[in-house]
This record gives sequence, structure tokens and C-alpha cells, in this order.
Amino acid sequence: MCSSPLQVTPYATKMEFRMPTKVQLDLAIVFLKIFLRDRQSIFFSLFFPIIFMTVFGFVNRSGVGAINIGVINESSDPSAIGFIQELIENSVFSVTVGLEDRLRPQLEEGEQTLVIIIPKEFDTTSEGTALRVLVDATQVQQLGLILPVLEQSLVEIEREFRDIEPMFNLVIEDIRARSQNYLDFLLPGLMAFTLMQLSIAGSGFNIVELRRKGILKRLFVTPIEPKDFIVSIVMARMTIVLIQLSVLIAYALLVLDVNIVGSLPSFYLMIIFGTFIFLCLGFCLGSIAKTQQAVMAIGNIVIFPQIFLSGVFYPIESMPEFIQPIAYILPLSFISTSMREIAINGASLMDITPSLIGIAVWFVLSFVLATRLFVWKEVAN
Amino acid sequence: MMSYDLPKTSLMAIIEVKNLYKHYPSPDKKGETFAAVNGISLSIDKGEIFGILGPNGAGKTTTLEMLEGLTDIDSGSAVIDGIDVQSNPYKVKQIIGVQLQANEYFESLSISELLILFGNLYGKKIDPENLLEKVNLVDKAKAKPDSLSGGQKQRFSIACALVNDPKVLFLDEPTTGLDPQAKRNLWDLVLNLNSAGMTIVLTTHNMDEAESLCQRIAIMDHGVIVAEDTPQNLILTHAPEPPAAPLHGNIEDVFLALTGHALRD
Repeated sequence: MCSSPLQVTPYATKMEFRMPTKVQLDLAIVFLKIFLRDRQSIFFSLFFPIIFMTVFGFVNRSGVGAINIGVINESSDPSAIGFIQELIENSVFSVTVGLEDRLRPQLEEGEQTLVIIIPKEFDTTSEGTALRVLVDATQVQQLGLILPVLEQSLVEIEREFRDIEPMFNLVIEDIRARSQNYLDFLLPGLMAFTLMQLSIAGSGFNIVELRRKGILKRLFVTPIEPKDFIVSIVMARMTIVLIQLSVLIAYALLVLDVNIVGSLPSFYLMIIFGTFIFLCLGFCLGSIAKTQQAVMAIGNIVIFPQIFLSGVFYPIESMPEFIQPIAYILPLSFISTSMREIAINGASLMDITPSLIGIAVWFVLSFVLATRLFVWKEVAN
Repeated sequence: MMSYDLPKTSLMAIIEVKNLYKHYPSPDKKGETFAAVNGISLSIDKGEIFGILGPNGAGKTTTLEMLEGLTDIDSGSAVIDGIDVQSNPYKVKQIIGVQLQANEYFESLSISELLILFGNLYGKKIDPENLLEKVNLVDKAKAKPDSLSGGQKQRFSIACALVNDPKVLFLDEPTTGLDPQAKRNLWDLVLNLNSAGMTIVLTTHNMDEAESLCQRIAIMDHGVIVAEDTPQNLILTHAPEPPAAPLHGNIEDVFLALTGHALRD
């Protein structure tokens, strides 16, 4: 029977970050050369995000300051009129006041993004009157933007009618002074999402291909260690991803007129962290999956939930509450939240400390996992 | 008490293999294993060309892969030039050169660039032209590996295995799929390397190759070595009596006589 051998662990990888060695640099340069010569895949990796941004840019431009909402007023209380007035004065909305039988079909046809029904019992004296909001599910990604403004208007009206001194008046003015541009909101998330895709494909899918061709095995008979291989691929891929994202960011800033309010170096720092994390996670995928089909399938398990749960297209706050705790700890959430905070709110690195802690945890976790899972004997054969 | 033939320990031995075992999960019965390599012992001398022969599935490649550090050794020991393969795989890799059966490379690099890359992996600056001259590929220096013929690919694989100036060169079926000219050309290359003092271990299905290249041969079947000796002694001991009027030469000799020895790359 199979005798169990005494296992020495010559392949165990020590966890340490240090300057890349000469071998790692040499290898990285070769990989960079290989990646750069693959013009076709570089082109297509840029093609989709550019189309995507452009389409959203146009949709957005035509809709600036004009999110159509309908209001059905069933109340005769003067505060209801005040509330409607408040909405009309808000430049974000274009308000149509009318009856339900006219506004409901408009909502269904997409002419209205949402319809608010002010109930009969609406006044400022009763506690907590419910406003009913009818929405079109296809417009749901805009809700995250609209609902806070709506809530803000309500709070303001309530204050006015109850004669309460507004405590956060300045802050409120600030929020409303900046035009909420959906593309401004979208760009950081889209960059985060793109870097995830490029990185996971760049390491994970690549490794499976190298394995299929027997190239990993050939490298395995040379004295380089898995760590050297991982570090050099990460360095080379990182360079490529930074170039790709720079092209996309330049396009967004120069052609689509998107604003990045915060510091660009901080923004790039987040991109570098994110790329590192997803390259390492890609290595994990490539080590587990043995075939191209398997890596696609497992890759989708990792990628898809993050597309929808990481606040890339709409804020996490607008998601069902039970899913929010999971959504917040996804690596893409930390990255896209940080990038968005920097880009549209001008946050400094100090301001986003919680996200940075999350990123640090994923940074270490993904690297440890990658070096543990990427074992020559397993991946090369 | 199990007994086995201890290899005669030679002072000149560069590879010492003792009681090597490798088990794999059985493809037929779940939960069971079979011995791909079932307790082999070998002693390969410095400077010799040693051939491992055997039908498919005999355990030739598994044996090589254990020596190269590609596959875990279940039990037994393998020492190359005084270094234990199991405890020091990276040290062993520094002094061996390996040519694998599959020989695909990064497509977008030229063969010179690939040689430089392999040199880097050993931390060595190499002169690709020098290596390509050894394997007769200088005029292909800028070519991509995909554009090479079968024989050229094999010779390039050997060039890659030579970047670290290895003490032992492992060749896994180096001439499989080559035309006779390319095959003979590769034999010359192997003999040249050997005459410069390199120890060469190769596997083959080709009896001619074993006979004309190897100083000693081990014949494997079902994971064990069934015979090991010089080609001459093997023939004397194991070959059946020749027929009364033996045929002179064989078809390959005819083919070469008609088509010549010149390379057809």
C-alpha cells in the first residue's frame, strides 16, 4: 500500500513583502513584453468600457437636472403644497402634478421615473405619515440617487412647518449645490469593476492557459519558486492594467467631461491596491480550476455577485438590508467605495480609513491564499 | 524481509536511486492505488548516456519526473551529484537540464528571447547565439517557436535545457515523431554533448536509438526494471537465437540509403 512519506515542505512560502529580486524583475519584464505583444486582447479590454461609458455619458447628459417624477396629491393640508413646491424648486427633478390614472400609465411607459402619492392624512402634526412611492423597476439604479434628495426635501418641509431650527443647514446646501451626475457616480465604480475583470482574467485565465500548454511545467523544472512567478506576473500585469485604466480615465476626463474631485494619486493608489488584490484572487482561481471552462465558471462565481453587490452601478445603501452586511465586505465594495469617495466627494485617505482597513485585510488575505494555493506540483501537472 | 538488488555503488556514480516508489489513484477502481513506479534502484555513472526503455505506461516518465523534482517521491531516495532530490529540489534543479515531452513556449517571444528568459530563471546571463550554434539553429534566432519544424523544436528544447550548463541532462523521448534525418541529427547532438562530459539520461521507444546512443540501458515494465546492462550484454543474454539466414540491415537503412543523411528541416 501507499506508504506515507515524510513530507518536508521545501515549497512552503514565507509571508513577507520585500523588494523584488533580480529574477523577479527579469521575469516581469519578459511577461510585460508578452502581454504588450498581445495587441488584440488589449484593444478589446478597452473597447467595452469605453462603449459603456460613452452610452452612459449620453444618457446622462440628456437627463441632467431632469429626473421626471410625478406627484399625486390626495391631501388638502397646506404642508403638502409646500412639499410639492420644494420638489419643483429642486433642480434635480422635473415635477408633474396630476391624478393617478394619468401618471400611472406614464410611469409604466417610462416617462416618469417614479410617482409619489401624498396621502389624505398628510400633515405635519401627525407622526410619520407614509408617502407611497411607485417606481419602475427598470429605473431602479437611479433610486439610490433620488431617494436621499426626496428624504432631504421632506425633512426640510417638516422643519419649516414645525419651526425647528435646521441643524445641518450648511451640509444640506453643500449636497444640493453639487449637481449629482450619474456618470460622475458611475466612473469610479466602473473603473473598479474594469480593474477587477482585467486582473482576474490577467492572472487566473492566463495561468490555466499556461498550464494547458505545459509552459508551467517547463518553468517548474527550473529553480524559480512559485513566489517569484507570482510576483513577476503581478508586477507585469499591474503595469498593463494601470496603462489600460489610465487610457479609460483620460477618456472619461477629457472626452466625457467627468470630474474627479479628490486627489488623483490617492485614486491611483486605490487602483493599485485593487489590482493587486484581484490579481492574487485570480491566481487562486487559476490554481483551483484545471480547465479553461472551469476557470470561466469559477471566475463568474467570483465576478458576478460583485458586479451587483459592490455598489458599482448603484449605492449599497439602496440594497435590501439583509444583503448589505455581505455586500460591504466584498473586496470590490471596499475598492469602489474608496475610489468613489475620493473621486466625487474629494475624500482624503484619512477619511476612508474603514475602507482602507478592509482593503488591507483583503490585500494580505489574497496574497497569502495565492501563495498557498499556487503550488508548482499541483498547478504544473 | 523483502529483498532487492542493491545497485553496485560506483565511485563514479552521479545519480543514485534506491527503492523508488510512486503510487497513483487507480483509474479503474475507486479508492485503490497502483504503483506507477514499484521500487526501482539505479546507479548512473558520471559521463554516460543512460537509456530507459519500456512500453507506454511502464513508468519511464514518472521515474524521470521524480528525479527532476516534478513529482513527489512516495518512498525511497534519489540523489543527484550528492544532493538529495526530496530535501533539496531547488538545488537539484540548478544542476540539471530538462527536456519535457510537451514543448510549447510563450508564442510571442523569439527563440533567442526565450533562451535569455530561461537563462534569467537560473540567474544567468547567457549568449543565445552560442547556444543556438550548439543545436544548429543560429539562422532561426529571430523565429517564433511555433514556426519551427519538429526536429528544430526538439533541438530548441535541448538548447533551453542547456542554459544552466547542467551536469545531468534529462531527455524524455527526444526523437519521437521526428523524421530519420532529424533523428540522426539529434543523436549527433546528444553524442557531442556527452563527449564534452555531460551525463545524459533519456527515455525512448526507439530500439535503434537505445542501441546506438546509450552506454547502458534499463528496460522497464509495470513500474519495475526487468533488465539493466550494456546493449551488447543485453543482446547476448536476452535476444533469442538468430534465424539461420538473418536479413541484412532493416527498412530504415534502406530509407536512409535512398534518401541520404542530409537534414531536411
